[in-house]
Amino acid sequence: MPDLEIRPILGTMRRNPVGAILIALQVAFTLGVVANSLFIINDRIGLINRPTGFDIDNIVTVQSTLLDDPADKLQQVRTDIEALEAIPGVIAATSVTQLPLSNSGSGTELFASADPNAPEVNGARFTMTETGLDAMGLTLAEGRWFREDEIKLPSTYGDPINVVIVTRVMADALFPDGNALGATVYDHLRRPVTLIGIVEHMQGSWISWQHLDNNIFTPQVPMQRFARYVIRTEPGSLDQVMSQVEPTLAATEPRRIVQRLRPYSEIRDRTYTEHRAMAIMLGVVSVLLIIVTAVGIVGLVSFVVRQRTRQIGTRRAIGAQRLHIVRYFLVENWLMTTGGAIVGMALAFGVNYWLANLFSLPRLDPWYLPAGLVILWLVGLLSVFAPARRAARISPAIATRGAAL
Amino acid sequence: MLEMKNIAKIYRTEAIATHALRDFDLSVADGEFVTVTGPSGSGKTTFLNIAGLLEDPTDGTYKLDGEEVGQLNDRAKSRIRNEKIGFIFQSFNLIPDLDVTDNIDVPLRYRGLPGAERSKRIRDALEIVGLASRQHHLPSQLSGGQQQRVAIARALAGRPRFLLADEPTGNLDSEMASQVIALLDDINAQGTTIIMVTHDMSLAGHGGREVRLLDGRLASPDDAETLAATGTGV
Amino acid sequence: MFSYYARLALISLRNSPALTVLTVGAIALGIGVSLTVLSVYNLMSADPIPQKSDVLYAVTLDSWDPERPYRERDATIPPYEMTFRDAVAVRDSDIPTHAAAMFKAGFSVQPGNPDIRPFRVISRMTDRGLFAMFNLDFIYGDAWGARADEGGEYVVVLNQTTNEKLFGGEDSVGERVRMGDNDFTVVGVVEDWNPTPKYYDVNNGAFDEGEEVFMPFALTEALELYSAGNTNCWKPEDIESYQNFIDSECVWIQYWAQLDDPAQRQNYQQFLDDYARNQQSVGRFQRPLNNRLFPVMEWLEVRQVVESDALIMLAISFMFLAVCVFNTVGLLLARFISRAPHIGIRRALGASRQAIFSQQMVEAALVGTAAGALGIGLAWLGLQGVRVLYREVDRLTYLTPSMIVAGFAIALVAALAAGLYPAWRVCRTSPSFYLRLQ
Repeated sequence: MPDLEIRPILGTMRRNPVGAILIALQVAFTLGVVANSLFIINDRIGLINRPTGFDIDNIVTVQSTLLDDPADKLQQVRTDIEALEAIPGVIAATSVTQLPLSNSGSGTELFASADPNAPEVNGARFTMTETGLDAMGLTLAEGRWFREDEIKLPSTYGDPINVVIVTRVMADALFPDGNALGATVYDHLRRPVTLIGIVEHMQGSWISWQHLDNNIFTPQVPMQRFARYVIRTEPGSLDQVMSQVEPTLAATEPRRIVQRLRPYSEIRDRTYTEHRAMAIMLGVVSVLLIIVTAVGIVGLVSFVVRQRTRQIGTRRAIGAQRLHIVRYFLVENWLMTTGGAIVGMALAFGVNYWLANLFSLPRLDPWYLPAGLVILWLVGLLSVFAPARRAARISPAIATRGAAL
Repeated sequence: MLEMKNIAKIYRTEAIATHALRDFDLSVADGEFVTVTGPSGSGKTTFLNIAGLLEDPTDGTYKLDGEEVGQLNDRAKSRIRNEKIGFIFQSFNLIPDLDVTDNIDVPLRYRGLPGAERSKRIRDALEIVGLASRQHHLPSQLSGGQQQRVAIARALAGRPRFLLADEPTGNLDSEMASQVIALLDDINAQGTTIIMVTHDMSLAGHGGREVRLLDGRLASPDDAETLAATGTGV
Repeated sequence: MFSYYARLALISLRNSPALTVLTVGAIALGIGVSLTVLSVYNLMSADPIPQKSDVLYAVTLDSWDPERPYRERDATIPPYEMTFRDAVAVRDSDIPTHAAAMFKAGFSVQPGNPDIRPFRVISRMTDRGLFAMFNLDFIYGDAWGARADEGGEYVVVLNQTTNEKLFGGEDSVGERVRMGDNDFTVVGVVEDWNPTPKYYDVNNGAFDEGEEVFMPFALTEALELYSAGNTNCWKPEDIESYQNFIDSECVWIQYWAQLDDPAQRQNYQQFLDDYARNQQSVGRFQRPLNNRLFPVMEWLEVRQVVESDALIMLAISFMFLAVCVFNTVGLLLARFISRAPHIGIRRALGASRQAIFSQQMVEAALVGTAAGALGIGLAWLGLQGVRVLYREVDRLTYLTPSMIVAGFAIALVAALAAGLYPAWRVCRTSPSFYLRLQ
């Protein structure tokens, strides 16, 4: 084991602690920020990357508002769907009342029994046609999807329905012991409905809602003059299909306003805008902060090298190799960084504790602290390397020459 | 009039105390030209630092024009340095970032003189040292002798009563050295008191009075003989 | 002496360009980051109507579920919005100076000019009190008359953009526009109204655009309108008709009132409480009496308009600034101490400690000023970045004059704070130490 000269280094630091304290403080704050940032970034990326359960990359959505009341709303929707499905490259289309991941829509509750004390299970409510399963690209886990003859016109609110499909998570919440398929469940007015199918998974409307995966499908078309269509395309035909949607709808009924024609991924991106922006901003701030800290270390160490030119020359004159000089500065810096990092870990926990209390954020995973420490060790060693090499190149002759400054 | 009585200066570190000066008495009348000589470590520089109010004596009294100055606060001492004392150093001590004019300007600025007065004094001082044509040169663009003349001009511009010179010729060749000494003689002839520290024995007693230091004390005549006999010099 | 010190500082900064760039750059980066975040935060938390935000009140009635409060975490907060029937009842009071019920609804517009394709607009269904209460500026015409608030008058106030679209920006008062299935008569045109935050209705984004047209709230029933914003219900109710819906316990109407003095406020509170007690006798309002009037700024706090992410960023950006300041302390220390020999000369020539200290602090101030200017530039860049990251938040991503001043102030304070220790240390060093070294 080579002598790392830790004792004399510590002695030097004790006699002249300001530089060491400054570096340690920077490292401490940087670690506090970087550890928390990495944690939040990872948390947000995790949110964005949760599986949606539907074929989000191959779906187009559009919104249509008729200018007049249709003679037969159900028929109008069917005509629209058929026309959309006839566009080359379209796999299936359906009408929906609300879009998953749009942060907008309505919810309802179901009960596993008619008992007034039965616990309610909340979920977002998606009304679709018999083509909904294919149009969303959902996976049916059990039972069946809606039949054409089950699709109803909605009245205004809470239209009574006879059949319902739920996501697996919702089914498990209603019937923890299984056997949900075929069971009778009860709507918000405790009217009985038959659970005819279970969809493997679909994310619901509000991304921050704790019951995001609790979703209810009912067989209806949207109210009044309004309709939203979901059109699933063959992979690669999305753009081509998108260009055909507006003319197709205009051809079936020109007196309407067509709006918000966009790929589904855009809706998700819009909904997650803030999370993504937060992750990117924290990433940028962390990188800048690491750069600032590195620059600070380079600046201070360069200064110290200049100040100690004579001392270093003398060491070289009495036999220190270049390696020893470089190692001296590396060890010195490593001690400062580590000292700062220990304070920084406490700070990181403090910051997280404070943020967590204030904004009900999750607690910092302790693994982010050693991760931050390793990052800062690397930054410290890389920053100190250039000035340390410059120090190692100081000529031993400087010791005997008079000039100092 | 400069009077030092029983001046002592002790430097202390954790382990040892060094007596740089002890029981030092000196009285310099207005208009004198005194040379202070002595071997390395004899206390010459400490004497000059105390005389120039750059350091406080550990003990003793120091009067300048009858005023006790040894224990004044920083601001008062700075003012005395600025108004009454001029310094000339062995290595010139010009500020490398500033050109000739700005270097000479430094003490005048701290005195708070108006701009016109400062320009006039700078011009006059440069005239005296014969460097009027170099006023916008940086120190690095001047020879050693020219730099020392700038330093002298800087000291003169403040019109000090006392001029403290620390080996003013130490870094100069003999021709330049004699020019500088001639300049100091002129200044002394105008009435400025000069105290010059040197270990150039050829300059000892140059202005008529020599003070010798040995081990932090005024050397007795016996010591002087010893010195002469051993030929202490550089 | 200041100008002398400033000149010396400039010379010194010029003579060590690398160190200068690092020092200025470090603070500037800190300013850039914190000012970017602070700007967004400041605009988020701004008073949207400073001249009267303390006399405008969000009116809330606690008609919610007897079994649980509207907000699980804070039972003192009533529902953010009102039921239709309560809004209609509250409209009867003439205590407030101005008052208005409101919600937003979508309409299809069919322009008379066949060259303009039909388009959708969002309308604010409201009472005439809104225009005077919220200080909207009329370009043409005026608010509708009191009779329109009784119902039956199909009148509309357009905003400037919509008037531009429909009538090329001409005075359109008296013109007719088909919206939905009715012809509406234009009675006024207002300047586009986009308060930031959108305090009167933060339900669908506190920084959304304002509505494009305004129509009488009194038409709601006749047109069978639903809210294009938020509708919250707690009671299992059999809603089979529009009448069922407007009679339900669902809340979806925002209500605002202007109450100019405490007496008026007290009267109004009394009126609301009397109304609620009266409703208790018919089986409604079964929760403890909790009808509250929230002034604008308090309302924005209740609605948590400043997002927690913005607060997290604010905390992090100031830690960033702290690192930059520590960094600057180090760089200034290096700068000042490497100049200690010159300081020694100045001391010998008559500079007092205080003079040296001042000289260093002027240099620090100069660094701060330069960093402030650069930092404001960086903040501008940062805000462009934020604009790209968050879509459609133009109203939150510009530098106000007060933010520019704040940028300089923070930079100056940071630089002076950073310079304090280095300046103190260098002015304490013994001058003879450096002079003797020769």
